[in-house]
Amino acid sequence: MLSIKNCLIDSETWQIRFPDMQLDPDDLLVIIGPSGIGKSTLLHWLLGNQPKHVNISGQVLIDDQDVSQLAVENRHIGLLMQDVFLFPHLSVEDNISFALPKSPDLNSKKQRRTKAHSMLEQINLEHLGKRYPQSLSGGERSRVGLVRALANQPKVMLLDEPFAALDPSNREKIGKWTFQQLAQQAIPSIMVTHDLKDIPIFAKQLNLADYYQSKETP
Amino acid sequence: MISRRFSTKLIGLILLVSLSISNVMAEDLVAETLDETSAKWQQTLKVAKGKSVYFYAWGGSKAVNEYLRWAKREIAKQYGVRLIHVKVTDPGEAVARLKAENGRTSAIDLTWVNGENFAYLKQHDHLLGNLWSSIPNVANLAIDTLPITVDFGESMDGYEVPWGIGQFNLIAEEAVFSNAQFSADDLLTIARNNPETVTYPRPPEFHGSTFLKQLLVNLTQGDERLYMAATEVAQQDLLPKLWAYLDTLHPYLWQQGKAFPTSSSEQFLLYQQKSLSMAVSFNPNQWIKEKATKQIPESSVRRSFIDGAITNSHNLAIPKFAPNSEAAKVVINFMLSEQAQQLKFAGEWGDPSVLKSMFDSRSSLPAHGEPHSSWQLILEDAWQQRYGG
Amino acid sequence: MATTLRRLSRVLGWWLVMCIASLPVWGILFGLWPDEDTSIADLSRLLAYQGLGLSLSQSMFSALFSSLVSLYLAFLIYSQYQSHSKVGGPWLEKYLSPLLSLPHLAIALGLVFLFSESGVFFVNGDIGLPRKGLSTFIMAIIIKEVPFFLLILIAVGRQLPLHGWLLQGRALGYDISTSWWLLVFPNMLKQMRLALLAASAYTLSVVDMNLLVGPNIPELFAVSVYRWQGSFSEGDQALGFWANVLLLVLLAVSIIFLYCHEKLAIKVLQHWTVLGRRIRLGFVDTLGQVWLPASGLLILLMVLVFTLWSLGFNWRSDTFSLRNLNTHLWQDEWLFVALPLQNALLIGVSAAILGIMFTLLALELQRQKGRYLPDYIWLLGILLPQLSMVLGWQVSHIWLEGGYHSGWVVFAHFPFTFGYAYLVLKGPFQSIDANYELIAASFGYSPWQRWWKIRFRLLFPATLSAFAITFAVSIAQYIPTLMIGAGRVTTITTEAVAIGTGSQQDVAALYILLQSLLPLAAFLITALLSSRVAGPKHSTLEISRC
Repeated sequence: MLSIKNCLIDSETWQIRFPDMQLDPDDLLVIIGPSGIGKSTLLHWLLGNQPKHVNISGQVLIDDQDVSQLAVENRHIGLLMQDVFLFPHLSVEDNISFALPKSPDLNSKKQRRTKAHSMLEQINLEHLGKRYPQSLSGGERSRVGLVRALANQPKVMLLDEPFAALDPSNREKIGKWTFQQLAQQAIPSIMVTHDLKDIPIFAKQLNLADYYQSKETP
Repeated sequence: MISRRFSTKLIGLILLVSLSISNVMAEDLVAETLDETSAKWQQTLKVAKGKSVYFYAWGGSKAVNEYLRWAKREIAKQYGVRLIHVKVTDPGEAVARLKAENGRTSAIDLTWVNGENFAYLKQHDHLLGNLWSSIPNVANLAIDTLPITVDFGESMDGYEVPWGIGQFNLIAEEAVFSNAQFSADDLLTIARNNPETVTYPRPPEFHGSTFLKQLLVNLTQGDERLYMAATEVAQQDLLPKLWAYLDTLHPYLWQQGKAFPTSSSEQFLLYQQKSLSMAVSFNPNQWIKEKATKQIPESSVRRSFIDGAITNSHNLAIPKFAPNSEAAKVVINFMLSEQAQQLKFAGEWGDPSVLKSMFDSRSSLPAHGEPHSSWQLILEDAWQQRYGG
Repeated sequence: MATTLRRLSRVLGWWLVMCIASLPVWGILFGLWPDEDTSIADLSRLLAYQGLGLSLSQSMFSALFSSLVSLYLAFLIYSQYQSHSKVGGPWLEKYLSPLLSLPHLAIALGLVFLFSESGVFFVNGDIGLPRKGLSTFIMAIIIKEVPFFLLILIAVGRQLPLHGWLLQGRALGYDISTSWWLLVFPNMLKQMRLALLAASAYTLSVVDMNLLVGPNIPELFAVSVYRWQGSFSEGDQALGFWANVLLLVLLAVSIIFLYCHEKLAIKVLQHWTVLGRRIRLGFVDTLGQVWLPASGLLILLMVLVFTLWSLGFNWRSDTFSLRNLNTHLWQDEWLFVALPLQNALLIGVSAAILGIMFTLLALELQRQKGRYLPDYIWLLGILLPQLSMVLGWQVSHIWLEGGYHSGWVVFAHFPFTFGYAYLVLKGPFQSIDANYELIAASFGYSPWQRWWKIRFRLLFPATLSAFAITFAVSIAQYIPTLMIGAGRVTTITTEAVAIGTGSQQDVAALYILLQSLLPLAAFLITALLSSRVAGPKHSTLEISRC
């Protein structure tokens, strides 16, 4: 469960007072709005990556615990971007192993690779396991990216234009598949997009432009 | 021909005069030498045992390097002293270090030095004195027959000890240089007939400067003013002859005198590759050693200026603050031993001995004294001014 | 507590890297501090030196011309190999190894031996190179610098989305060559700035190569500086001081020139880009294609010549037969070179690793600060005249009475390895997308883990190149090794340089070969390793199939 409270995006010339909200495990919030309004910035702030150009204040609570002061690595929030940034020096399997949380039954290299392999198997991508990111197609990259993000068992998932780089036919297929995966794992998610076709019917929508206030006095 | 004979006589005269001057000084020196059996020397040997001597010496000659490898073994065996050859590209590297150390304990125990570097070190009080009176074998130096008490106008005064002899000579193709001795005019004729095969290292390189001196001596019939501090008048009288000569000679030189070898080594390589008909050397026996090792063709011969070869010594000195000066003295003493001097001359190196007992006129050339040291700087500056730009 | 600790370590880090970066300045200040008797009169004596004007302009011209030509050539070659060769980067790197390994002096020596008037391949006419002259000097520098620039281009190119840019260019109807020059070159030029500065500073102050093949009526300025500084004849030390000051001015002018060149080149290319101009290179294109094979062949010939020499073969001797070849020299010298080789190896590895570590520290601190200091601050070790700098260190070292051991020699090589590591790594370091680390952070990895497991690993191929280059740089050091090691620490280079001043071409050739051995090993091993480390995010290999 994710709560956002008193969130204020403050720039020199404008500000956005983000409404307080709570996302339950099954929820998907889609944030839309014109380019440059701070959609991605907001996601990065949620992740714990302080933006440079604007000032964002407010509280982020995950399962009622305030994570606002925590560093990125301690928040357990996943991020999926348009370019999924698969680590080029690691094979697909190792990319996933890298994301697996530390736990007693995932201690050895072998255990972690087996786990990664089985995750790929679940989505019928096990043939990609030994390959390196450079050799994957766009669609494959997106799917491996999501598997990797999910492997980390995040408590919240952030998606920043995740399908923008895909061609239309792939886009719909992979979109559907992604939301299905997120729902299966019951992870509250926030997605930023400016393509309305990306938005599934069950999602909540929020247009940032509705909360935009200009600071400039006429 | 007449002038040639005349000049030879004159040079002989000058040499006699200069040698008799050095004799006077030599007598003082010899009186003070030390005996190998003396308690003082025994003490030196005792202190030296087990010590290391860092010897800064040019590392560009395989023959010298080999010789020092041999000396290292002998000295270790005979005296328990470790000799370490620090190979440098230029003696100036040792001088620069001593200058930087400026009175602190030195990293150098022994150095191979002469000329301007010696003058600088002596004048700036960087050297250990009284070497002549504290090293036994100095007594055997051939100071009566060789100009080895004064180093380019700077009196040695016990701050350095002669180790070997340099005599300016050419290693040349016999077919081109047919006579054993040659004058400036002969050289011009040779250059004319064999264009682009004659040259000399670019002054102020040591050999190049000496080449100019030899020409000047020859062209002025060994004017006596060359052996005194150069006056304005003497310069105006004597130098124009050299410049007029060089103006004529240069167009016939290698690369038409638009470039010169940077060193005697480079010139030697060009000679080896048959680009040149002559190379320059300060070692009167280099030609025979190089022939023995098949480095140069059988047709190579040694040639020298008709006035005699400008002769000087190369020497050993100990820095004032050398940590192992006693051991360095032991090394010098060994270097002056008959055993070491014999191999230096007879071995691959071929450097003439400085010992009385081994003075051998066949191994050396008729000698000619160095002009006064003030001429060297004047020649170098003026050469740069006229031809260097 | 953790933040205080982090801040403390950051302050300490800054302090450390600033110390390293200021070592060259320290050296110059102490090394150049004039004797009391240096005066303005000496300066006018210097300015009156016959041929000074020509000497200065030839020095300046050779430095700028050779580094710029090398850069353009290297880029031309790089673009062609990336576009046409199916094997691409790793293969190219391996191929470069031998080209990079021969010391500068050896290239010059081989060049005149093969192509000058008395050379093996000299054909009467206009083909030969003068035995001594500006053209020979520049040629030798270019042959040596092109592979160096290529190696850096490869390191930089690995981190750039070249494939995407080129694809865009071609999609817009530009041919591949135009796409390279209009889209890729401006981006790479900025990242090559440091290498350009280093190359021109090197050419401006190199002495040994200059003595061998440079013109000497008048001689290039570096030679005069070296001669005065090393001479203790009356007045020469004072001339040496002013000449060094003048050399610093030349360096400054060349830096300014290269900055201006960069601005201008980018402007011109931008202008053409806007105009949509196509770039046709014609015969220059062919030059790019034949350069590498030709210089490979050349190096092979040189190695062959050196090997023959070292086996006692005398090219022009009267009796010449292959039967005279023997390995006596190798057997004789082998006993004496083992220790110098071992010393060189140890010092080289230590100095290279140290240089890379501190470069990464300097880069990371600047990244965290969000601002990069001007490049020349970090490159002072490479830019400033070496002899004066090391003289200053020598004086300080003597004051400290630290003794003479390999540790100090490593320390004396460190500013140079640091400078070269910085110039190789800066571009790749800056090109790494911060999002990789952000993603790793979202997986719960701490800053240290992120840095080590992600940033460093992404940088690893470039680090390998940096290692090979810095290792070779350390191996090549003569002046610092001799002046700080005081002969206690001999390396293969102190031996080789000393023997190189003599006239025995057999021994000299033997030492040249031995001296090239270690860098060759380093370049080969790192090239092999980097082709095994999967890493380049942006592959350009598929262009030819588009």
